[in-house]
Amino acid sequence: MIELQQVTKRFGNTLAADAIDLRINQGEFCVLVGTSGCGKSTTLRMINRLIPHSSGLLTIEGQEISQLDEQQLRRRIGYAIQSTGLFPHWPVARNISLVPRLLGWSEARVTERVEELLELLNLPYAEFAHKYPSELSGGQAQRVGVARALAGDPDILLMDEPFGALDPITRETLQNELLRIQRKIHKTLVFVTHDMDEALKLASQIVVMDQGKIIQQASPAELLLNPANDFVAQLLGGEDRGLKQAGLLRVAERMLPLPGPNSLDQAPAIQLHDSLRQALSIMLWHQCQQLRVYEGDSLVGYLPLDRIIRADSHV
Amino acid sequence: MNILPTDRVMPVLSCASLLSFWSLDFLSFQPNRIVPGTGFSADAALGWPWAFCMTALLLFIIAASFTRLRYRHAVQLVCLILLLLQLPLGLAGFSSVQVPDTLPHARTGIASGFWLLLFFAALMLIELQQKMHLSRLKILILLMLPLICLFWVYHTGQIESLALVREYTARSSQFQDALRVHLLLVCGAVGISLLSGFLLVSLMRQWPFIQKFIFGLLNFVQTIPSLALFGLLIAPLGYLASRSEFLQSINVSGIGWAPALIALVAYSLLPISRNIFIALEEVPYAVLESARGMGMSRVQVFLHVRLPLAMPVILEGVRITSIQAIGLTAVAALIGAGGLGSFIFQGLGQAAMDMILLGALPILVMALLADLLFSGLAGLFRNGAKQ
Repeated sequence: MIELQQVTKRFGNTLAADAIDLRINQGEFCVLVGTSGCGKSTTLRMINRLIPHSSGLLTIEGQEISQLDEQQLRRRIGYAIQSTGLFPHWPVARNISLVPRLLGWSEARVTERVEELLELLNLPYAEFAHKYPSELSGGQAQRVGVARALAGDPDILLMDEPFGALDPITRETLQNELLRIQRKIHKTLVFVTHDMDEALKLASQIVVMDQGKIIQQASPAELLLNPANDFVAQLLGGEDRGLKQAGLLRVAERMLPLPGPNSLDQAPAIQLHDSLRQALSIMLWHQCQQLRVYEGDSLVGYLPLDRIIRADSHV
Repeated sequence: MNILPTDRVMPVLSCASLLSFWSLDFLSFQPNRIVPGTGFSADAALGWPWAFCMTALLLFIIAASFTRLRYRHAVQLVCLILLLLQLPLGLAGFSSVQVPDTLPHARTGIASGFWLLLFFAALMLIELQQKMHLSRLKILILLMLPLICLFWVYHTGQIESLALVREYTARSSQFQDALRVHLLLVCGAVGISLLSGFLLVSLMRQWPFIQKFIFGLLNFVQTIPSLALFGLLIAPLGYLASRSEFLQSINVSGIGWAPALIALVAYSLLPISRNIFIALEEVPYAVLESARGMGMSRVQVFLHVRLPLAMPVILEGVRITSIQAIGLTAVAALIGAGGLGSFIFQGLGQAAMDMILLGALPILVMALLADLLFSGLAGLFRNGAKQ
């Protein structure tokens, strides 16, 4: 558990972080979101002491971090950044093995760990282990960056806009993989982004920041329903909020059981775990008002337009 | 089949070689050291068949340029190496015909046609290296063939009448001394400036405000002509040496190795410190920050990340500095520092061309080897980084 109490960072006369109170529980996916210069990166980097906090208490598992050994602390915390920061003169495998080696793991254990991580991030060992960072695409380099951050098996993972420089398709693939990995390893993740869609998709808890202060702290669904002020509402995309909310809801939640109306044979198909936003998009595209819902290959129900708009609607 | 367009550089260079081969004196003969030599054209020096054989090789190079064969560059390279192989053999042949053992003072010389042929051959070699994307090491290995041949004719005494060899034999122990002194001065200057460069740069990184002052001073030193700097050091060093027994005991005086070394270090400091400084500063910030974020100590970040990434640029500085020092050390002979420059200045004084060459050729070879060594080393570090 990471806990910040009245944590403040001053750079000269400016307050980069102003009396931050924040609790991030074990296994939480916490996303700090805000415009550039709002203090989200500063807050993140205070957690691994790349920036020392000026005042307040910043504890990890109850221990004030300024009392801990700086290097020991950082080796326990994974760190991934937008430009990856991979060492250009080391091949992929050696880059990933950095923290395990610093921790003094045996050679056999290090090799095993590198193989495990490359597999976890869908990078075949034989193909990638001996490549240099300059030989990787942006997405591959970022995967290696994430693998390196996970290498020492840290409890906490800090990520500073790791997917910010990637194209939309690669970004979405990596977001999905990060969610998959998180379901598997249950780390405490602190993730910084300026992209609210990314935050809504990934977070279990969203922290909205502005001018060094926390404006609102809530789950994605709650944030969409009750934005604290106009600034948060604006970040949420104003008129698009409805669609964003639909993006958080699964087809499974609104689906109706079979048998449906006779006209259902003609309806397009959608998967059970897809979002209502995708369902709406398919309806708009095919100019229809109902969809057949599949789980894998088997038909399990149907979804009419009314049910997307209102949960209590019965056809 | 991959069809390449024909090129123009090789035929032009080859024609120029042919022209100098046939129109200028190729080799020369002197009955003794004082009398001016008589020139021999290529066919007179080598005899008809041999001269035509070499002409044929050059014509073959031209002809190959007009074909569209995929391997024509390789063919040209083979012809060129064969041509270079003829040169030491030709020297040996000419010497054995012109200088019988009964003429111990007679000497053979290399004339303008020979030098120009060598020059154009070097240009062709560079052209082929670039066209065929060969590494410098491969070219060097190929060049070993003519060089081994040259060494063989020298070792078996077949070119002992060559003026350059005669000059060398007369002064072989002096030559070895000069070579040793030259190397010591260069290595000393580069080594000392490398160490002090690191020291200066770490001071400048600690206190950035002294950076302007130090680079200003080093830039100023660079503007002083080398001869003037050597001269300027004579008085203060002479004074110090007359006051200190310790300095006298290690042979420091106004002239000799001490002022030479000081001046060489002063000139070397700018390129070395500038390259070290830029190299260390230009390591991407994100890489350094992630290194710290992973839990590396300051020393580990420097030794495992900053220094290896800076290495190619630092080695580039060492390369520039070494080549500059090799040349400057020749001038240091004027203030009695010794080195190969002493042959150059003695030769100039006696108008003995071959003695000048005895000093200049090894300097040239040393500069080329230093260039090869340090760009090779920098390449090794760069290969690892592949930036």
